[in-house]
Amino acid sequence: MKFLVFSDVGKNVSEIATKLRDLGEVHSFTLKSQRDAVMKSGSKKLVLLDGTSFSGNVSEALLKSDLSGYDYVFIASTPLGRDIAGIISAKTGNMIASEAFDFTIDNGKIRTKRFFFGGKTIMEEETGAKIVTVSPGSFEPSESPDSPAEETITLPGSPEKLLEEKDREAGGTNIESAGIIVSVGRGIGSKEAIEKITPLVTATRGELAGSRPVCLDYRWLSEERQVGLSGKKVKPRVYIALGISGQIQHIAGMRGSKIVVAVNKDKDAPIFQECDYGIVGDLFQIVPKLVEKLKK
Amino acid sequence: MALNIIVLIKQIIDIDQMRTDPGTGIPVTQGIPLKVETLSKNAIEAAVKLKEKYGGKVTGIIFGTEKSNAAMKEAYAMGVDEGFIITGYPGNNPSLTAHVISEKIKSIQGFNVVILGNQSADSYTGVLPGLMAGKLSLPLLGNAVSIEEDSGSIKIRRALEDRDQIVSAPMPCIVSVTQEINQPRLPPVLQIMAAGRKPINTEQASLIDLPAGKVLSNLAPKSERKRLIFEDVEKGSEEVAKIIRGEIK
Ligand SMILES: Cc1cc2nc3c(=O)[nH]c(=O)nc-3n(C[C@H](O)[C@H](O)[C@H](O)COP(=O)(O)OP(=O)(O)OC[C@H]3O[C@@H](n4cnc5c(N)ncnc54)[C@H](O)[C@@H]3O)c2cc1C
Ligand SMILES: Nc1ncnc2c1ncn2[C@@H]1O[C@H](COP(=O)(O)O)[C@@H](O)[C@H]1O
Repeated sequence: MKFLVFSDVGKNVSEIATKLRDLGEVHSFTLKSQRDAVMKSGSKKLVLLDGTSFSGNVSEALLKSDLSGYDYVFIASTPLGRDIAGIISAKTGNMIASEAFDFTIDNGKIRTKRFFFGGKTIMEEETGAKIVTVSPGSFEPSESPDSPAEETITLPGSPEKLLEEKDREAGGTNIESAGIIVSVGRGIGSKEAIEKITPLVTATRGELAGSRPVCLDYRWLSEERQVGLSGKKVKPRVYIALGISGQIQHIAGMRGSKIVVAVNKDKDAPIFQECDYGIVGDLFQIVPKLVEKLKK
Repeated sequence: MALNIIVLIKQIIDIDQMRTDPGTGIPVTQGIPLKVETLSKNAIEAAVKLKEKYGGKVTGIIFGTEKSNAAMKEAYAMGVDEGFIITGYPGNNPSLTAHVISEKIKSIQGFNVVILGNQSADSYTGVLPGLMAGKLSLPLLGNAVSIEEDSGSIKIRRALEDRDQIVSAPMPCIVSVTQEINQPRLPPVLQIMAAGRKPINTEQASLIDLPAGKVLSNLAPKSERKRLIFEDVEKGSEEVAKIIRGEIK
């Protein structure tokens, strides 16, 4: 089989290519800036897209690469990736299976697993889809010794214009591979309060993560630390949820954790249904206690 | 410039109220009330705000069922001026949804912008914006956290994976919005009453035969958490610290 993999995030290409390279030949497409993250993905061919990227002109470039020569097109479900998947599906008439976090291919049919009903259920589907959007972080990337043949394509012009661009703090954090995660929710109340949480992160040698409001609405943490349905799917040995209510969309991101600890002042918070150990109380009182006891 | 805006509205069951059977994991959807999907509400709010700022008109489209009147009335109460319900929605099949809605949009004269959610709260497919852009051959400004009009163009701010951007596209164009763009309004009672009297256009979808996926299973994942809850903070911290300590490497 032949696969085309695209993501605007190099790491996501490597995740998907690692899964696919045992099943067939992988041609990876990504933005030129992402080259280094894709070099060891085990792709046969690496196509770098050069120029200002929009969903429109990236789709155009992919469509020009003779998609009919591929059995499947896999696209990481990033904001840009989803838009591109939709456009090429409309233009080629090929169906999409969306938001897969696992899949198997058998006899021209693909079986995908994804969350449904906002994360309350897992739906397994069998479709004739040729385009698949894959939830980032679904597969563990591993390095391959084979280097790809490289090619650079200049992106075509587009009606969209980039007026301003600012890189966000590229922390290079990878909460998906963290062993212990200290995750904070709206309950911490302010950005400054994160300082009060850091001692626990240090004491556990963990990584800091957060709920969607903390990462997106308030920007107390960077977006790459968001856990949940629309964020990262994490599976640490211990997940410590501080001031997180436990809405289903959050749970969908941390269900794979081995042990879940929750601290919440509301004893009816749904997080207590999804934890192994819970403490009812003020997190600002409990966090220092935990730190102190861990140091002993 | 006054804007002729189309907003796409999905009606879903209230998933917060939906339970799954504790024994079998089967979702119990019977008797759960319907509501306007979360991101669609953000889309409506964004459309109505643009109208309030620049003047113009907001047209709502629901690809739904005979039961979608309540959703359209809610959209009217929030400020949508005219609404079309296309009945015959067969459930989750984004290609079909995009086909039906784009055919309807082609019949609407002189629109400037189509606004929709970037990923809906139930199925979470996230591909409708791209499908619409592809089918209508219009530029797509995806994942907006703010929208404005700027001399014939639409300008949005958005957050991509590792960077923030301001991008623009000439009208007509498609704009998808994220949950962070606004706080949808709760319309006052008077507006809700007025909305109830406003006519709704309903038409039957002309469906084409597009193969839907075969659902093999759709069940709640088993949760086997211990659920040991401590209300005594001192004792709880002691126990929890012990557990965590054993896992630190
Ligand atoms: C389509 C869609 C996708 C989504 N994707 C995600 C996602 O990927 N990730 C995600 O997290 N959410 C996601 N959400 C949002 C989700 O529905 C919830 O709104 C969100 O998870 C709530 O975040 P929170 O728990 O931090 O805040 P809240 O729900 O406001 O909870 C705050 C909690 O803190 C507690 N608290 C307050 N003060 C203290 C204190 N001093 N000590 C202890 N406890 C305290 C409160 O009792 C409360 O339980 C999504 C929603 C939608 C519709
Ligand atoms: N049946 C529908 N009728 C009208 N709009 C819809 C429908 N389905 C999806 N949408 C719109 O598309 C957005 C994204 O949906 P989705 O691609 O299904 O995640 C939603 O927030 C709605 O604005």
